[in-house]
Amino acid sequence: GAGGPLARTIRAKLTAALQPTHLEVRNDSPRHGGPPGAETHFGVLVVSGLFAGLPPLQRHRLVHEALRAELAGPLHALQVTARTPEQWQSDPKNPPAPPCLGGSKR
Amino acid sequence: MRAAVREGWRIGAAAAGALRGRAGRPLSQAAGDSGGADGSGGGGSGSREAVERLVREHPVVVFMKGSPAQPLCGFSNAVVQILRLHGVEDYRAHDVLQDPDLRQGVKNYSNWPTIPQVYLNGEFVGGCDILLQMHQNGDLVEELKKLGIRSALLDAEKDKEKK
Repeated sequence: GAGGPLARTIRAKLTAALQPTHLEVRNDSPRHGGPPGAETHFGVLVVSGLFAGLPPLQRHRLVHEALRAELAGPLHALQVTARTPEQWQSDPKNPPAPPCLGGSKR
Repeated sequence: MRAAVREGWRIGAAAAGALRGRAGRPLSQAAGDSGGADGSGGGGSGSREAVERLVREHPVVVFMKGSPAQPLCGFSNAVVQILRLHGVEDYRAHDVLQDPDLRQGVKNYSNWPTIPQVYLNGEFVGGCDILLQMHQNGDLVEELKKLGIRSALLDAEKDKEKK
């Protein structure tokens, strides 16, 4: 498994909560001026049948719920792409995070 | 498209003015001056009542890092850029970096852990990812229409069709 401890935790919690058919966990921390090994900004792509019938807001809430402790702690930013398996099959694209503007250090 | 970009400069200036509050004071000071009249344990700028007041102030309200003229975060900037593309000229932007109580209060209010946060007609709509999705699938044009705001992209498309 790739990534540091937070990446592994994110992967484990999302897997347990959402039983994804496809999961990508991306550490964006270096793009936000973090030092090597920083784990503060992540992007996740979650493909799960549990999202069926849910609007984007509710899908993202499910992801946040799974990562509640991390979001209250070291995880400062989380980009989320949430698709059903059908959506992912017809359009397998994971949008990149927007570029960092780096001004706030937080 | 160029017209929408020109409008964008006006958005920056107008929104920067809105950011300062009515009397030209920074938002965090203005909130303090209003006193604890609402009885929510000090009436702080992060109370439910305070956030509720802010989200109802205008059809389009954004809590962000930095200002529309100078966003300090890529996600906040994305929200500003998307609104600019739609020619949304007039909206309320609140810089949570200026007010830690507001920053936490907004997260409590919407039960959403991150900034930026977009509210349309007082209702929480989502963050940057969701706004981008709404922009790409046409939902944002529809939601703006419900608020009586005509997206600039509709005019841009009309111009294309005429040519």
